[in-house]
Amino acid sequence: MADQTLFEKYGGFSAVSRVVLDFYDRLLDSDEIGPFFDDTEMSKLVDHQTKFIASLLGGPSSYSDDHLKQLHTHLDIKNEHLDEMKAVLAKTLLDHGFAEDDTETVMGELEARRGIIVG
Amino acid sequence: MSIAAINEQLLRAIGVGVALLDADDFSFRFQNDTFVDWFAPQPEQDTLPKLLPEFDAKELREQLLAKKRFTAELNFRKKRRTMIFAADFTLTTEAEGAFIVLVCQNISRIREMESMIDSYSMMVERNTREIKREKEQVEKLLLNMMPRSVYEEFKTFGVVTPKLYDPVSVLMLDFVGFTEMAASADPSVTVSELNDIYSAFDRIGEQFGCERIKTIGDAYITVAGLPDPTPDHSRAVANTALRFIRYLDRRNQGHPNQWRCRIGIASGSVVGSVVGIQKYVYDIFGPAVNLASRLQECSEAMEITINGPVKDALNEQFLIESGGTRKIRGFDDQDIYKIRDSRKGVL
Repeated sequence: MADQTLFEKYGGFSAVSRVVLDFYDRLLDSDEIGPFFDDTEMSKLVDHQTKFIASLLGGPSSYSDDHLKQLHTHLDIKNEHLDEMKAVLAKTLLDHGFAEDDTETVMGELEARRGIIVG
Repeated sequence: MSIAAINEQLLRAIGVGVALLDADDFSFRFQNDTFVDWFAPQPEQDTLPKLLPEFDAKELREQLLAKKRFTAELNFRKKRRTMIFAADFTLTTEAEGAFIVLVCQNISRIREMESMIDSYSMMVERNTREIKREKEQVEKLLLNMMPRSVYEEFKTFGVVTPKLYDPVSVLMLDFVGFTEMAASADPSVTVSELNDIYSAFDRIGEQFGCERIKTIGDAYITVAGLPDPTPDHSRAVANTALRFIRYLDRRNQGHPNQWRCRIGIASGSVVGSVVGIQKYVYDIFGPAVNLASRLQECSEAMEITINGPVKDALNEQFLIESGGTRKIRGFDDQDIYKIRDSRKGVL
């Protein structure tokens, strides 16, 4: 039997949806990253975050590297923005009861995509 | 505290945004704390059109004149956040004049959840499609390796119980000179031609209710009478064998590579099962398989050799000649027979 994904471990969509919405709120409130979403429609941002978080947690999503690149290429994302995003996501996950090592795993997944997201 | 003051305090405190508008110019006469908190109107935004420039005030006026009520969804951008409100406008006439009561409920979270569910549903649907496609591929592959009823058993229980099938008729086919051909010709051409021929054999066998069991290099084994018992299994296999030879005859007329085969047919019992743990293969074992193999060795090129029980079962529907008595390794001496094609030359 295949290993359980973090998405499944933390309760599937019903539980992860709360993480996504909270993360979305925190991103919008962040002065470092929030401005990237100044002109983004709410539905598109929610859609992106749902797929992205699901993908990081091994959920039913497969954001390909090309797709991720395409979504971020027009933004002038620097390393410090991704660092801030990692910090916000890590805090969100921990606040929602994610274990530290699982949070680290997610951070590793995010870190692995640094070259794709950072322009 | 007067009742009016208590009412006002209640209005200020509730979790819905409430505003009172002058019906003539849509200027604000009252806004409760929740409304102010959500919309944070500046002093110069003293009318609804100034606060929400994209809002259709004309439609509001028309609807209120016609029905006294109007409901709408208001989008309000606060910093980088889009807030969505369900707004309910009611026209009321008091001694002081006509007013509009505006009641707003914040439905941003509901809309965010809807967007998320939409997005998630699409992911799940795409995954489901992919899983279905993969499942079909696996099924196709397994059905290529075993009969459907065996596959169903395998799918349900994860194992296949070995089963005795008795009687069945087994056809064993082998090509003459294949080794030389494989060694001398371009291997990819040989394999491609072999693949064409086996595909044609599969189609022919299927017509007569035969189940192809396997191919081993240039040997092809098919059987009638399993997994479901077939009373005329011998006839099915004899017909299949004749069509195999007719097909090769016709094919040889238009191809540089000449494919000639030897066929043996035997009836009897076999055991069918899936063997192997890592590499599942459905296979049959038993005297009928071994005898078909030996009888095949008794055939000349493009000949079909059968034994007595098969001949008896064929009921004189086929042109059969005696082949004498042969010593068959592992079996008693056998009277063997050849099935000839009565349509020879009329292809």
